Amino acid sequence: MRKLWWRHAALIVISIIMLAPFYWLLKTAITSENIYEYPPHLLPVRPQLFNFVDVWYLIPFPRYLFNSIVVSLIAVAGNLVLNAMAGFALTLPFVGRRSVIVLLLSCTLIPFQATIIPAYLITAHLGLLDSYLGLALPLLSTIVCIFIFKASFDAVPRSLIDAARIDGLGEMRILLRVMLPLSTPAIATNIVLSFIWSWNNFLWPLIITRSQDMQTLPLGLARFLSYMEDTTGALYAFVVMVLAPGLLVFLMAQSAFMRGLTTGATKG
Amino acid sequence: MRSRRRATVIACFLAPSLLIFIVYRILPLVWNVVLSFEYWSPLHPATWAGLDNYQEMLQDDDVFWLALWNTLIFLGSQPVAIALALGIALLVNSDLKGASVYRTIVFLSYPLMTVAVAIIWHWMYNERGGLINYALRQLGIIHQPIAFLDSFAWALPSIIIANTWQVLGFFMIVLLSGLQNIPPHLYEAARVDGAPAWARFFRITLPMLRPSVFLCLVIGMLNSFSAFDLIYVMTNGGPGHATELLITYIYKQGFVSTRFDYAAALTVAQFAILLLLTWIAHRAVGGNAGAIE
Repeated sequence: MRKLWWRHAALIVISIIMLAPFYWLLKTAITSENIYEYPPHLLPVRPQLFNFVDVWYLIPFPRYLFNSIVVSLIAVAGNLVLNAMAGFALTLPFVGRRSVIVLLLSCTLIPFQATIIPAYLITAHLGLLDSYLGLALPLLSTIVCIFIFKASFDAVPRSLIDAARIDGLGEMRILLRVMLPLSTPAIATNIVLSFIWSWNNFLWPLIITRSQDMQTLPLGLARFLSYMEDTTGALYAFVVMVLAPGLLVFLMAQSAFMRGLTTGATKG
Repeated sequence: MRSRRRATVIACFLAPSLLIFIVYRILPLVWNVVLSFEYWSPLHPATWAGLDNYQEMLQDDDVFWLALWNTLIFLGSQPVAIALALGIALLVNSDLKGASVYRTIVFLSYPLMTVAVAIIWHWMYNERGGLINYALRQLGIIHQPIAFLDSFAWALPSIIIANTWQVLGFFMIVLLSGLQNIPPHLYEAARVDGAPAWARFFRITLPMLRPSVFLCLVIGMLNSFSAFDLIYVMTNGGPGHATELLITYIYKQGFVSTRFDYAAALTVAQFAILLLLTWIAHRAVGGNAGAIE
């Protein structure tokens, strides 16, 4: 019994440390006037929500939000279609299948950060700098997600596929009518992972966007900090607005979410 | 006839993904190597440079060595974070009441946008409004506020703490799923044989966790080579180059000074180190890299 008490105490201390930054962020976001007052108050004094209104006037928040949503939607759609097709192809027997798998696995060893200079030059040659497609293009297919689809398709009973073939269904129809309806967890994982990677992506948009009109939310945040300094609670209200939707979705679907993130941990 | 049609379908299914990986992974890799042996900038045609870029990097560029050193320090912090995460995973891996709540709390920071994490911690470290200076002063540990992010001594450790805060939950979940895959009868047998708790930990838990630990090490490594977002927002490599990592230095050389050729040489060096370290981690944990997939 004493042992359990000790565990709870340790975990409560850890939880407080882990939650403190969240609390400090929220507190600052609803603090009025001078956030530099010393000593800072642990509880918000005269809490108000003006900062959240200010965000809309200080920066083109709707524009950033719109750009982030468009790029993420392109990335998610691309991932679903391309990864499902590639994952399905890898479950079929063909000459060179092994080498394709080896090629894909070795690509996972090349981190995106090691490609930025040529990736920028390639995108410039394609004339896609400062465009939605250019922002989404490198994220359109992910190796980890291809293998998640492949594993899911491999688990579909052979007899079902053979029956569909005897009925005269082509490969495309088998994928759409047999495989995908039986792979909803893989589809969900694909959506969650590709959305997060694209939504949180910072380095790539930083490199290839030129105009403020094409900037996404993470760039907006960084820009806010460097142009306005951190002199106003509005910056923290902005951070709350960016983080809140994702956190709510996470808290509602956390078990599926954690599973998805750990499967896709290696980021293809 | 039928099989040829099927081959066409397979090719069409694979082509788009492969094209993306070839254009955005393999081609850049080759291009980096080529570029690193050239003098090239967007306005000048390429001329052969031989090993000049590498020579400059290794002999004349102090910032390169500093950035490499910082990257290795960052890397060295990852095993510490993994050990911490293992401690937490052991604490929540039982039928403890409320274990899932603790798990959620520790994991909560992982999926956050890293730029937002950087802004939150930038504020936490603030001299006047930051919680950390305030708490340390209240506790009597320090008497003058410390400008953590402007200090040559403190800036890098401060960023490492912010990074640990974000990835801890991820390591915990990976280790937790590893712990749950250890067959319980191993522990029962050990208990029957009278093995004490520490022996059960070192003889059963740790060896069985090898694949999970390897996965954490590899992720931690990739993470140290790519902690760009945190650094860019929190210190931009400063003060001086005290928090410069290879990746931030590559970005600056490439996109601030437009020295693409030199940045390519830096990238090749970074990639070679990464491969070497992955191989070392693989050997150290005793193989079984297949566990990643």
